[in-house]
Amino acid sequence: MADKILTEHFGLENLFKIGVYMKNKGYEAVKKVLSEKKPDEILAEVKAANLRGRGGAGFPAGVKWGFVPKDIEKSKYLCVNADEGEPGTFKDRYIMTHNPHLLIEGIIITSFCVGIHTAFIYIRGEYEAVALRLEQAISEAYDKGFLGKDILGTRFKLDVYVHRGAGAYICGEETALLESLEGKRGNPRLKPPFPASIGLFGCPTVINNVETISNIPSIVLNGATWFCQMGLPKDGGTRIFGVSGLVKKPGIYELPVGTNLKEIIVQHAGGMKDGKKMKAVIPGGMSAPILTEEEIDINMDFDSLVEAKSMLGSAAIIVIDEETSMLDVLMRVTKFYSHESCGQCTPCRIGNSWINKIVKRISDGNGKRGDLDKIIQLANNMLGKTLCPLGDAAAMPVMSIIQKFREELESYIPLGN
Amino acid sequence: MNPELTDQTKKKIEEIASHYATKDAALLPVLHLVQREKGFISQQEEKEVADLLNIKPIKVKEVVTFYTMFNQEQVGKYHIQVCSNLSCSLLGADSLIEHLKSKLGIGVGETTSDKKFTLKTVECLGACEQAPCMMVNFDYFGNLDREKIDNILDSLE
Amino acid sequence: MAKIYIDERELEVAEGTTILKAAESAGLQIPHLCYHKAFIPEGSCRMCLVEIEGLPKLELACSTQVRDGMKITTTSESVVEARKGVLECLLAEHPIDCPICDKAGECKLQDYYDEYGLFDSEFDENKEKRQKRIEIGKNLLHDQERCVLCRRCVRFLGEVTKTHELGVFQRGVRAEVSIYDGILVDNNYSGNLAEICPVGAITDKDFRFKARTWFLQSRESICPLCSRGCNIYVESHQGFSRFSLPKRVYRIRTRENQMINGFWICDKGRYDYAYLDQERLDEIRMRNSQGSVTWPEITSHIAGEIGRLYHMKRAAHIGLILQTWLTNEEFFLLDKIFRNDVNIDKISFLDPAEEASDDFLLTSERTPNKRGAKELGFDLQPADWKKFFEDVDLLFVFASPIQDGLDVGPLKEALEKIDTKILFATHNHEINSSFDIVLPMSLIAEKGGSLTNIVGSVQNFSPALDAPGECRPAWQFFIELAKKLAINFDFYNQFSSMDDVREMMKKENPFFREVH
Repeated sequence: MADKILTEHFGLENLFKIGVYMKNKGYEAVKKVLSEKKPDEILAEVKAANLRGRGGAGFPAGVKWGFVPKDIEKSKYLCVNADEGEPGTFKDRYIMTHNPHLLIEGIIITSFCVGIHTAFIYIRGEYEAVALRLEQAISEAYDKGFLGKDILGTRFKLDVYVHRGAGAYICGEETALLESLEGKRGNPRLKPPFPASIGLFGCPTVINNVETISNIPSIVLNGATWFCQMGLPKDGGTRIFGVSGLVKKPGIYELPVGTNLKEIIVQHAGGMKDGKKMKAVIPGGMSAPILTEEEIDINMDFDSLVEAKSMLGSAAIIVIDEETSMLDVLMRVTKFYSHESCGQCTPCRIGNSWINKIVKRISDGNGKRGDLDKIIQLANNMLGKTLCPLGDAAAMPVMSIIQKFREELESYIPLGN
Repeated sequence: MNPELTDQTKKKIEEIASHYATKDAALLPVLHLVQREKGFISQQEEKEVADLLNIKPIKVKEVVTFYTMFNQEQVGKYHIQVCSNLSCSLLGADSLIEHLKSKLGIGVGETTSDKKFTLKTVECLGACEQAPCMMVNFDYFGNLDREKIDNILDSLE
Repeated sequence: MAKIYIDERELEVAEGTTILKAAESAGLQIPHLCYHKAFIPEGSCRMCLVEIEGLPKLELACSTQVRDGMKITTTSESVVEARKGVLECLLAEHPIDCPICDKAGECKLQDYYDEYGLFDSEFDENKEKRQKRIEIGKNLLHDQERCVLCRRCVRFLGEVTKTHELGVFQRGVRAEVSIYDGILVDNNYSGNLAEICPVGAITDKDFRFKARTWFLQSRESICPLCSRGCNIYVESHQGFSRFSLPKRVYRIRTRENQMINGFWICDKGRYDYAYLDQERLDEIRMRNSQGSVTWPEITSHIAGEIGRLYHMKRAAHIGLILQTWLTNEEFFLLDKIFRNDVNIDKISFLDPAEEASDDFLLTSERTPNKRGAKELGFDLQPADWKKFFEDVDLLFVFASPIQDGLDVGPLKEALEKIDTKILFATHNHEINSSFDIVLPMSLIAEKGGSLTNIVGSVQNFSPALDAPGECRPAWQFFIELAKKLAINFDFYNQFSSMDDVREMMKKENPFFREVH
């Protein structure tokens, strides 16, 4: 049996076209679901598969769907999170570019399961070519009767639209995404209420990452047991690991959940580029706390990384070599969060900017004793205290970089200052 | 003063708006459409869009100034956006930005006097496997080095 | 009901109440900037974080609903550290120009800094440069550097007036509140913005640099400039021992009353207060009199004039021109004395003309108590002035304090033919000289009583200001007059205070028993 779920057919020419996709078991899952399955059965299967969200937070998809009220007059919506803004992450771009029908198929099954008739794919604005490809694929799916009214002769109907963002990392946060979809600034909403009860246009809404939804067809076809066997019992399936930075073969690698990080970097991504020596690795996108070279012998699943005080996040691996200054890394990280804070809540709006100003000053050679402690304190003011998870996302990497590379960072502060 | 939006664009806006439960939700796609036609979103476009979507112009400006992709000023024919985030900087983005600056004779955030090029740095473009990378208008270029950048610039009319 | 514990105090509160409201109901203040009772909690300032037993993170007091058995701590070290962290951030990007800020003394940022430790700034970076003086409305200036992005102003214009003149532009640390393309906040409620701004970001040009807030004495009153009866604070300055000030009143502020005006007052009520100080009549004037005349003397004189006609059975020759600036109690006494005792039926009203209402608080009536007069049996129909002035020998006129809105045309000509003319006035006016006696009266803000608003709500009020010079409230004069007239002495002899009159009115007229 194939050991890949999402990228198995990536080698096929024109996989993005519906004909090629269908020749390779494409839309079999939709046919099976619409002819044989009841929504409750699908929900039970997805729950049993322990499919955890691939966007970053790792919330079980089945549980999320279960929160949506069943008998309700209002419309319900599915929003596919294709914002992919987490630095280091590019996996969803691959799925949408090479295998857009897999995502569409997942959308159809999810919608059928939850009782949804309108789905939006919220894609980051820069991915224009990807958005066009998705729209092309959606149009093909309509033509073949997989979307629109009376899908495959049943009374189920579904419309899917692509909605492009316009340059705002925060819109990857689910409630900011909803605001953005409603034509507003991407300011995250206060929770509760959660989107499952009050989401898009005030209606119950499911929000899932592209990779999460793309796993649905195979779960339906092959069953939860199979899916769990692909990964771990409590964290089923595969992950598309995106490796970038100083490795020989940067790219995506679909591997079982729990694959060893060192193995991914050394065996799959070819090890360090140009014979450089590894210094540190960010294991789950920029918001994940950094790991030192000694810490990378670790399994890439949610629980293992939490245990190592980091996180799996979007499974985006950034490999940093010894020649790179950690001050520069800190600079990129703090500049990013300062730039991407929506500005709504105080600790994030001012904290991130303040931290970045301090780092810049250290970079300019004007660091002072106490600067690093001040940064830690400001990061701590954000940790768990902001309106949305961006505060945590910003605080965690900053704190970990200072904790693990303090000596080096202090060396950039002139003696006597 | 820019010409008004074409009837074709206005029709397209109506079509897009029909996808959403409320018309004003179409603001982002409509702004993309308008920027494609006009190059940037000035106050005139803010007001036109507001009018078409039945919202106050201030709501349009709130949105335009929130998202980095909406240009509030004219940009060059080729809008070069170089990623300066971590993966790209690890692989030399900074020196490529310096190269572009000297080659184009402008600073970051500036436009050449012939209005051909605008140079900006941006946060992660989601193409880290091709780092260092950049966008020219909506085209991605990855695995950049100086030579490759020179070739790309030469190919742009 | 839910039983909760806040800082180990046990409280019984309604299920679904927020922690912040529950705490306030018990007199515990939880600091907040973005939260305002009028709006849905936004949770953006992060000042109101509290600790809840069993939860891993601090939670918002403004939006978290209580649950039975919830144990909340508002003073633990982690709570204090979090609040200090928020303040530290806000102050880092704030100009800290309190000595020249009008909000000083009533600024939440200033208050919380005092409460949370008076720490030194550790911000060694450059502050963001922003616009310091944006004219955002006729009376409003906005200082973006002082702004804490609580968005109260934006929400007010979005949710209350629905005029959306302010928005937030840019994002992150560059986020700023401003107007669009020079379009000013232009609605009759703009002044509320300066009031709800928790810091000195939006200031009121009317108050700017005029007085320090801590010198102001704030007293409750009712706005008399239309018939809504909005609850207000009248804020006055006593001056200094070295010198006196050109006026008493520096500011009118809104006073919450959910039955009447909610949290707001209109700009008319807020800004048109100059009449409280300008051109006030503050002494008794009597034509042809040598030297000053006292209230007892003038009251005896007037009682004599009325008594003479009354005993000659010529009461029909007494005319009374009223306006609805008088209180319920004053109308009650007028009715008793002039209609019931003296038996006068020549009573007409000369109120300012009605103007457009604004479909929110401001009514079309430009006097505060038309409804009260009606409830006490007065006919407010316009008079046939020609008929009214036939055979009038003794005329009493109560002048409106806002005399510009009063049509004195019908009076002027008629006055010449009348023997004795007595004016009750609050202000100097050219018409005053046409009267034989002019009596200085207290304004609503200077007396006690009650008013009945347009929908029939009766509201009591007490003096917010001392009456200037010889000014007296009309009710006081009426009691003295009635005692001197002695037609029904025993009845009036019961009254030694405003409250006595009110109790009698309530006893006799059930309409006034329910007071808001």
